[in-house]
This record gives sequence, C-alpha cells and structure tokens, in this order.
Amino acid sequence: MRRYNIAGLVVFLLAVGGLFALSPRNTQKVQSAFLGMISPFLRTGSSLQQRVVAFHEGLKTLTQLEQDNKTLLIQNAQLRTGLGYLRDLEQENNRLRHALEYRERAAFNLVPARIIARDSSTWWNTVRIDRGVDDGVEIDMPVLTEDGLVGKTTAVAGSSATVVLISDENCKVAATVEGTQEQGIVTGERTSNSLQPQISLIFLSKNANLRPGQRVFSSGAGAVFPAGVSIGVIKEFKKRELDGYATIVPSVDLTTLEDVFVVFGKK
Amino acid sequence: MIFFLILAASLFVSLVVQQFIGPLPWLHGTRVLLMPIVLFYGALAVPFWAMLILAFIAGFMWDALTVQIAFTRDIATGHAVASNVEISLGWSILLYAALGSLMIGFRPLFQRGRWEVHCLLSGVLTSAIVLAEYLMITLRRGEFVFSTEVWWRIGGAGLVAIILSPFCFFILSSIAEAVGYDTQPRQEKEQE
Repeated sequence: MRRYNIAGLVVFLLAVGGLFALSPRNTQKVQSAFLGMISPFLRTGSSLQQRVVAFHEGLKTLTQLEQDNKTLLIQNAQLRTGLGYLRDLEQENNRLRHALEYRERAAFNLVPARIIARDSSTWWNTVRIDRGVDDGVEIDMPVLTEDGLVGKTTAVAGSSATVVLISDENCKVAATVEGTQEQGIVTGERTSNSLQPQISLIFLSKNANLRPGQRVFSSGAGAVFPAGVSIGVIKEFKKRELDGYATIVPSVDLTTLEDVFVVFGKK
Repeated sequence: MIFFLILAASLFVSLVVQQFIGPLPWLHGTRVLLMPIVLFYGALAVPFWAMLILAFIAGFMWDALTVQIAFTRDIATGHAVASNVEISLGWSILLYAALGSLMIGFRPLFQRGRWEVHCLLSGVLTSAIVLAEYLMITLRRGEFVFSTEVWWRIGGAGLVAIILSPFCFFILSSIAEAVGYDTQPRQEKEQE
C-alpha cells in the first residue's frame, strides 16, 4: 500500500472518529446544516416534479374539467354548510363551557406547509417540508392535516424541516380509543414504508376487547401532540402475553400526502 | 482532479434525484438507490485514497439525512433538546468505505473493459447496504423481524441497482472520457 494511501486511511479514520464523538446536540446541528444546504435543490426538484404533474393534469379534456368543476362546486357547498353548522356548535359549546367555568376549547395555530421530498431510505419514514426556522418551526412540533395526525418535526433548517411520519417506528404517540378508557402508544411498524404505511397501538390492557372501526385519537400525554387529533381506525385487536395490541388504519393517507399543517401551540 | 470533483458532485446529484423516486409498488416498496452505484463506480475509477473521500462524502450525506435523534423536553424552557442519537453519524461512511474497498479488488477486470461482474457486484453491495441498515436498526431497537417483505426490500434494492448500474457506469465512463480522465493509470498499465 502506498504511503499516501496509508496517510489517507489515517485521516479518514480520524475524521470518522470525530463524527462518532459528536454529541446528540452537535449531531442535530450538523443534520440541520446539511438539510439547509440540500433544501434549495429539493425545492427545485419538487417544483419541477409539480410542473410535470401539472402538465399531465393539464391535458384533461373539457368534459373532464367540467365534471371536476361540478363535483368541486357541490363539495364546496357541502363544506360551507357543514362549516357554518360547526361554527354555531363551537360557539354554543364555548358558551356552555363558560357557563360551567370550563376553559374554552381553543383551536391551534396552524402553518401550512408543502412536502418537497420523501425519504429515499428503505427503513426510515420521513418527509421534508418547505417550512423551517424562518417560519417559526421548531423541533418536535406536531404535523397534521384536516384528516388527522401525520407526525412531528425532527431536523429543522432555515426554510425546511424533516418530519418523521407516524408510520415510523421511532414516532410514538400517546393515544386513547373512542368510547373506552383504554390508553396506549401508537407506533409505526419497522417494515412500514411510504407505500404501505403500517401503524399499531401497543401497551393496551389484555381485556380491552377493541372492535374494528373504533377510532383512535391522540391523548395529549407527553406534551408533544395535542389531544383529540384523529390517528386512525382500529383494524384488528389481538391479545398478547402481557398486553393488548391493535393494528390501525391511519386517518391520513400517508402515501399521497402533499400539503400538511405544522401546529404552533394554541391560538 | 476534475473527474474526482465530478464524481463528488454526482454523489450529491444522485442523492437529490433518488429523493424524488418513489417506492416501487411491483417490488414490495423497494427504494431506488442511485448514490451507491455512483460510489461503486468511483471505487473502480479512482485511487484508494480518493475512494475514501468519496465514501466519506456519500456516507456523511446519507447519515445527515437519515440519522434519527430522540428529544426530551427541557423543564425550564419547554423546548425540545436532543438527548440521544439512534445510530451515530458516520457509521455509513465506514460501511461505504468497506464496500468500496471490496469493489477495488475487482478493478483489474474493470480496466480491461469488462463491466458485467461489476454491475452484478453493485447490486449485491447495494443489497448489503440495505441489509446492514436493517441489522443496525434491529440491533438498536431489538426484536428480530425477518419477514418475506424485508427480504424482498433488501434484494429488490440490489436488483434495481443491477439494472441501473450499466447505464450509470456508461454515463460516468463517457464523462471520464470527455474530461480526459484515464481510469487505468500508467503504472498499472505497465504492471500489466
């Protein structure tokens, strides 16, 4: 082996050793700095991808567009009606809570974000969004859509952030089951990927006897995720040696996710 | 030097591009990994020390994007503080360097213009990367789960790499030729 190969190997091992010695906080800084560096390229790639998709969608016939327009108009009218009704209910609910000296149930401050890239790794389920420190996004902020919980932010750079999805084994959410006193932890499956997101509810009591179709919500324990956000619907319940275990169908379609909201605390 | 910089830039570009390629539904959600193919070509085309730099760049970028950090809440401020790194930043660098070194062993054949073995090897080594990642996660989190799905994703990544590597190798070889880089240094030619 030539002399400079040995020198190169020594420098290489020292550099890797230096990286291994990084503290979690410094690792996070390195991660955020790299995310900041790569995000302009991801944004460009994302906008190019959108243009291609838009071009394909733009090739619709006039009849298709007319049909789409009709459907959207009907949906819009339905949503407007529903929204008005819900506003009345919210006001009434708050009035009643006030009368009972309860704290008013406040909505969240939501900041819209667009997904600019998906993780290309096989075993980690993350996405990158186009909001970062400049927009007030911090680490460990919940991310959701109108349908339910998506995940939470991990690495945050200037104008982008990484969101670990609830289908990732490392994203754990304290949860409750509708109509029961059951509490458990929602976690992703190791073999889950963005094509087949799999999540489960663990640490339930053995006698929980949950039925398929029951809804699962975040319980708010742990102070990361707000309470009452829909996570999914029970698909199957199994008794294990020590606890109960349920598989869940996520409320949000994580495979086609495009726009999300970052939760910034209460209004 | 120019070709080395081109290879380094290609690693970055391939990393960005593979972020926009979705999982393959017909191959159990296998992901397309382009960066390892570029790295393996680099291992064949540049000297050992340069391969180490390429492995460092590739491994660092990959880890910076994938390493997961656990957070705890600071009681005083209420802010999240990084408390634990699941798999240390830098482990992929060692993995890439080790696999790149294996690839170097097949350089004489590559310099004779024979690519078949290297394309197959690219696939095998890409699968090895995915398997190593899975083993690292499993060792860290516990509970060995080796379902058919897991094996398909490990093998699928390699299969895709075998299909894509001839194209990648051709493009990179053409670039090397265009910039006047000789993948067979004079000393090695004399040895032959």
